Amino acid sequence: MQLFKKTTAILSILFWFFTVYLAVPLFASDSKTGALINCDIQHQPCTRQISGTIVTLDIQPRPVKAMKDLIFEVQIKNADLTRLPMIDLSMPGMKMGRNQVTMKMTAKGVYQGTGIIVRCPSGKTVWQATVNLPGTGSTSFIFDVIY
Amino acid sequence: MSSIDTLSLVFLTTGFTVGFGHCIGMCGPIVISMSLNLKTRNTIWPHILYHAGRVTTYTLLGGIMGVTGSFAMVASRIALIQKGVLIFSGVLIIFMGVMMGPWLIKFSCFKNETGIQTFFSRTFGSLVGLKSTLAFFPLGLMLGLLPCGPVYTVLIASARAGMETAGMYQSFMSGMVLMLFFGIGTIPALFFVGRLAGTARFIRGPIIYKLGSFIMMGLGIYFVFKGIRY
Repeated sequence: MQLFKKTTAILSILFWFFTVYLAVPLFASDSKTGALINCDIQHQPCTRQISGTIVTLDIQPRPVKAMKDLIFEVQIKNADLTRLPMIDLSMPGMKMGRNQVTMKMTAKGVYQGTGIIVRCPSGKTVWQATVNLPGTGSTSFIFDVIY
Repeated sequence: MSSIDTLSLVFLTTGFTVGFGHCIGMCGPIVISMSLNLKTRNTIWPHILYHAGRVTTYTLLGGIMGVTGSFAMVASRIALIQKGVLIFSGVLIIFMGVMMGPWLIKFSCFKNETGIQTFFSRTFGSLVGLKSTLAFFPLGLMLGLLPCGPVYTVLIASARAGMETAGMYQSFMSGMVLMLFFGIGTIPALFFVGRLAGTARFIRGPIIYKLGSFIMMGLGIYFVFKGIRY
């Protein structure tokens, strides 16, 4: 009887833990991730550096909207890449699965690819594009998307 | 191993990991509501049928994405349906919460059989009570259309896989296979949450019903609100 009571108590705690666990992300605000924004992609291309290599990201057409085909352009200065760069699209602090943009070289140091930023039903609009340069490193551009 | 085989395994794993994070947040309330409303009925088959319906919708969407090769085009065409499904799921959760808890009967002036709960049970009983276990399959089919970030991500991959495959049939199949594996991957987390709710219901009935009812109504309102804004 004692064992039964203990088991029931543990299962009840587990149940409420999961209920709260699932409810918290739904009500979480965008304010924390909003503070991470380092790129005004809606108005201009963004530039960042990876140990001397200058990486510029542009997304067209503007305004940058979710659920639309978008063209991602990456310009690289001060680096000779042996393999093509790749962009990982994700939301800060939220696992959405692998959403990658494969790129092709259109001119020396200029790469383009088509991708889609999906709409999160939570209403959060902050997205992250991580540009991976093989052999050099990676850098993240965090920006707001229009739903 | 072909690229589709490799991708299938990748998305099976994605489904599993995303299931324990994102899916519990989005679909967890629905699964818990369902579990708590099953009352004395067998709780395994409704869950199996619900998930089978959900994965069937994912699989068909994957096939469509594969054939068209365009996520944006298909997504724009089903956006309005998804909005409707999001609002509907919110309404469903609210009424499951109302039916489950003793709240309304206490506050209501109708404490007899013509009371507000009777009104709800008559009006929505067939909807949330789901008299037949088989009814959980079409419910899963419909709720498989709920807008969801990770589902979109795999649908994009399905559209790409379709574009890279020669022939309409192969494109359809490659899209279907990717979504099928992803969908299967999401089942363990939601099944676990559903079963946990079912077990808790048996051992702590009154408390679970009272608190559960309150939380469900709140989450349902939130879902409706999100649906209207979507």
